[in-house]
Amino acid sequence: MNTSIPAPSDHPGPWPARLDLLQSLTGLFLGLFMWLHMLFVASILLGPDAMWTVARFFEGYFLFGRPLPWLVSLFVAVVFALFVLHAWLALRRFPGQWRQHVAYWRHMRGMRHGDTTLWFVQVVTGFAMFFLAPVHLYLMLMHPELIGPYESADRVWSGGLWPLYLVLLFMVELHAGIGLYRLAVKWLGWSGAGRARLKRLEWAFTTFFLILGLVTLAAYVKLGIEHAPHAGEPYTPTWQRSAP
Amino acid sequence: MTVRQLAIQVFRHDPRDPGSRPRVVTHGLEETPGMTLFIALTRIREEQAPDLNFDFVCRAGVCGSCAMLINGRPGLACRTLTANLPATITLFPLPGFELIADLSVNTGKWMRGMTERLQAWLHLDAEPDPDAIEAAMDPDLAESIYELDRCIECGCCVAACGTARMRPDFVGAVGFNKIARFRLDPRDHRDDADFYQLIGDDTGIFGCMSLLGCEDVCPKSLSLQTQLAHLRRVMARRGLATGD
Amino acid sequence: MKLLHTDVLVIGAGLAGQRAAIASRRRGLETLVLSLVPARRSHSVAAQGGMQASLGNCVKGAGDNEDIHFEDTVRGSDWGCDQIVARMFAHMAPKAARELAAWGVAWNRVRRGDHEVVINGERVTLTERDAAHGLITARDFGGTRKWRTCHTSDGTGHAMLYALSDRVVAEAIPVLERQEALALIHDGSRCHGVVARDLITGELHACLARATVIATGGHGRVYGISTNALINEGIGTALALETGVARLGNMEAVQFHPTAIVPAGILVTEGCRGDGGVLRDRHGHRFMPDYEPEKKELASRDVVSRRMAEHMRAGGGVVSAYGEHLWLDITNLGADHIERNLREVKDICRYFLGIDPARDWIPVRPTQHYSMGGVRTDPRGQSPWLSGLFSCGEAACWDLHGFNRLGGNSVAETVVAGMLVGEYVADYCASEEGGQTLSTALAREFVERERAALEALRAGPGDEDAVAIRRRMEAVMTGKVGLFRDGEGLRVAVDELADLLQRSRRVAVPGGTGANPALVLGYRLPRMLKVALTITLGALARTESRGAHFREDFPARDDRHWLKRTLAWWPDGADLPALDYEALDIPRMELPPGSRGYGGAEIIAHPDSARRQAEVDELRVGHLDRHKLQPALMAFKQWLPARYRGRNARLDEPLPPAPSP
Repeated sequence: MNTSIPAPSDHPGPWPARLDLLQSLTGLFLGLFMWLHMLFVASILLGPDAMWTVARFFEGYFLFGRPLPWLVSLFVAVVFALFVLHAWLALRRFPGQWRQHVAYWRHMRGMRHGDTTLWFVQVVTGFAMFFLAPVHLYLMLMHPELIGPYESADRVWSGGLWPLYLVLLFMVELHAGIGLYRLAVKWLGWSGAGRARLKRLEWAFTTFFLILGLVTLAAYVKLGIEHAPHAGEPYTPTWQRSAP
Repeated sequence: MTVRQLAIQVFRHDPRDPGSRPRVVTHGLEETPGMTLFIALTRIREEQAPDLNFDFVCRAGVCGSCAMLINGRPGLACRTLTANLPATITLFPLPGFELIADLSVNTGKWMRGMTERLQAWLHLDAEPDPDAIEAAMDPDLAESIYELDRCIECGCCVAACGTARMRPDFVGAVGFNKIARFRLDPRDHRDDADFYQLIGDDTGIFGCMSLLGCEDVCPKSLSLQTQLAHLRRVMARRGLATGD
Repeated sequence: MKLLHTDVLVIGAGLAGQRAAIASRRRGLETLVLSLVPARRSHSVAAQGGMQASLGNCVKGAGDNEDIHFEDTVRGSDWGCDQIVARMFAHMAPKAARELAAWGVAWNRVRRGDHEVVINGERVTLTERDAAHGLITARDFGGTRKWRTCHTSDGTGHAMLYALSDRVVAEAIPVLERQEALALIHDGSRCHGVVARDLITGELHACLARATVIATGGHGRVYGISTNALINEGIGTALALETGVARLGNMEAVQFHPTAIVPAGILVTEGCRGDGGVLRDRHGHRFMPDYEPEKKELASRDVVSRRMAEHMRAGGGVVSAYGEHLWLDITNLGADHIERNLREVKDICRYFLGIDPARDWIPVRPTQHYSMGGVRTDPRGQSPWLSGLFSCGEAACWDLHGFNRLGGNSVAETVVAGMLVGEYVADYCASEEGGQTLSTALAREFVERERAALEALRAGPGDEDAVAIRRRMEAVMTGKVGLFRDGEGLRVAVDELADLLQRSRRVAVPGGTGANPALVLGYRLPRMLKVALTITLGALARTESRGAHFREDFPARDDRHWLKRTLAWWPDGADLPALDYEALDIPRMELPPGSRGYGGAEIIAHPDSARRQAEVDELRVGHLDRHKLQPALMAFKQWLPARYRGRNARLDEPLPPAPSP
């Protein structure tokens, strides 16, 4: 007759805490990095020279006097690793079985609740990035030298990657924006009016980066079309060109 | 003002009756001033469906019996005015709990299980001396404890939780709120290491995906997200300090 | 047939039932609790304003003690209570409040220094003592001379029930939820347990217990409009009545609370008035001082409710679509105070009335609230007629409240009675009588009887409408057995209720044998009608007015003829209950009958009253130590378990130093 009281769950140990923290930290890093990455890439809007400068900067050109593309490869490798780690950690949260999937879908439809729906957006965008992002990451890992005004524009247009980047843009910005917002509520616990403000801020950032991304992509497409006849030729900054 | 005709669509099913199939029955009802779903359902039972099961006890929003899905979202039926709803109202039993019949679910069993699992009671050092003056407590602290103690275990937070919908072993906000309440209470002799044993894993605090449904549906407007975030920080710190 | 065996069976998982279960479990007895609903949904959870305990911590409570609490309680009861019980209770209440403080109730605490309060409509600054900082504070309630009502905001019952329920889980006491007791198993002199029905599956089983405790709360739902939860249908009380052996006490004593909202009938706490709220009429006039210049809004509930009804009869009521009402005005307390101390009230106003009580007046009128009557027990909580049957809390007529209970005394009673009755139950189980073997054959017989009754109900003619009968019963009770009663109306009510009882056995019961509310209503209805009849017949027979029982044809309190307790039982096969009376013994009273100091009713004195008063006055002369005087006035500690006989410490009254060994 007695209801037995179960013993405390078998000592969870430190791993659940570590993994949760790691998921959040990798997400924080990747999210912030993607926002910065967008700003770097958007330097094309200030002109090819600006973009060239940014690209060379990351190759250590201004430190060592010559470009060291493997520095970029190294960084890409780190990002790639964090990406894989984040994806693996996040996968634990995904509805693994069909039953869970249906349960969540029904729940979301019924609730009509912003944050519940947004999580599903994260699942979808995360899932998409899982397949799309490695294409870009692998290219950057193997050909770090192909970052530059003409190099990138050729990759986008002549290389036919603009549809990939168009999709990735939306996936990344939505995922990063929602993810960073969620990190804030998750660890800092914004309630009520604070949370509403935070959410408005998140959407402002996402909208900004989406518009910036679309304009930037258009700029690369335009440059790519113009440069198509000379596809493959790298960009030389104006001040390095010899007078004709 | 014209009198509205309500169409109340009620889920009907008795899982213990082999002849019963889940179905939705629509009941027409004339709206009266100040009508709550308690009044509406009582009238349906009295005039149309005498064997309709639902749970109302206090009918004043304090006992937590009557939580159900009202047009898809969890809420207390007794204090929901029909005037605040469209003329077509769908009522489903609260998901995440064992169905008794129709709109009646066994939240009591779930809550007792949760209480046992989380050892959600005050862990005393010693029984009080019946004759002595009580130990003093800071008045603000007492109010803060009461604030967390106001949970009525209605189950809305569990039903609104996407995580719980996918993982039935998830503790849910009601459980975390209890842990936060006892953690705040100086009369409870447990420390964070003890609480980590109870909620320091993915069925506990690290499983929470911060979907915020709990906070947004809580009929008592408890600051659940603030408590969850606080517990997450404390438990993460505790987890990192724990050896393998 | 499923058969459960246990030492102690508690029916009802409210404050009284759970506290009794903890006490008996701690005495090493296997204890089982049955409950209609999950334990934490019990009606105790709805108690708002607080629990009376003479702690004397806050400055307006300083100097309070058991004596004053006792006297307030006896006056509140209109001398109808058992003074031994009232003494036991006043002595135990501080222990109960402090035990709950240790068990986790977050009582509001005293804050040192100045704070502003509203007293009699005026803002007043009180200065709390340094020494009291952090101790349990109290608010003012009706009919009390000190601020004595301990509270957690206005969710006191919630906080208490959760703390107790936590202990029940911690001590692994099983609570069988959604189980309904259908009958007490008894052999005419000894109770053997109950026949219970699983409300989910419909299955019947017997639960054999050496001691059975009825802690099922009140029976307010026999009235149409009541502040009670929907489960308070008096079924526990009816089970005792239906034994034909156990007796109910003072069933005609029914309390109407002055401030339930209109039309929903949901209570807003007496704390509203205790904290400084006032009652107003259709002109906005504060009318209570006209009737009760001394206590004003804070006279006892029976008096305030009656005055309100009187004022509405005189044309002061506000006319609305839902009938007349009056206003409760707490706007002068300020939004901050309401947000902190009356938050449930604020929620209720918001959700059920769409108003903000910090700005708007609340429509209220007197509404059925509490059942002073119930299963008659001795001071140990046992039925004198059925061995092994105990009762505590609102279900019982332990007789703490007599004909009117003070606000805050019922919540206190639940835990105090639970603490004591749990101990007495354990004593009983340890006694020779309690050790008797229980009869499995008898259990089987009772289960079969109930099964047959249910089948007969379902197979019955079905030419009566259960809902219509119920509504009629409610209307009769509200209309004729309410605040004002008279012989003519009561006689008509008895006849009609008796007729409804006959018809209730023929109701149609659609649906199956499992989870089926139509079946539940079908078998509860005759039981509710029996309770209603017992109330009405008792009210008809009592040709006086006392406390909440007010007869317009007999407006005086008649101590000479009616200083006695009504006892009722239902002989097998009878159409009406039988009544008998138990005299209250004036020569043994500590506080002989006199004037309450409010209410202003005429009293027909009993000749013993003055004689006893003279005796008491003489005893008091020259005695300065109240503790030494007590045994001479009225000894009561012999009724208490040894562990609870110690004096209560207070700031102003520290415990005497323990005698050196």
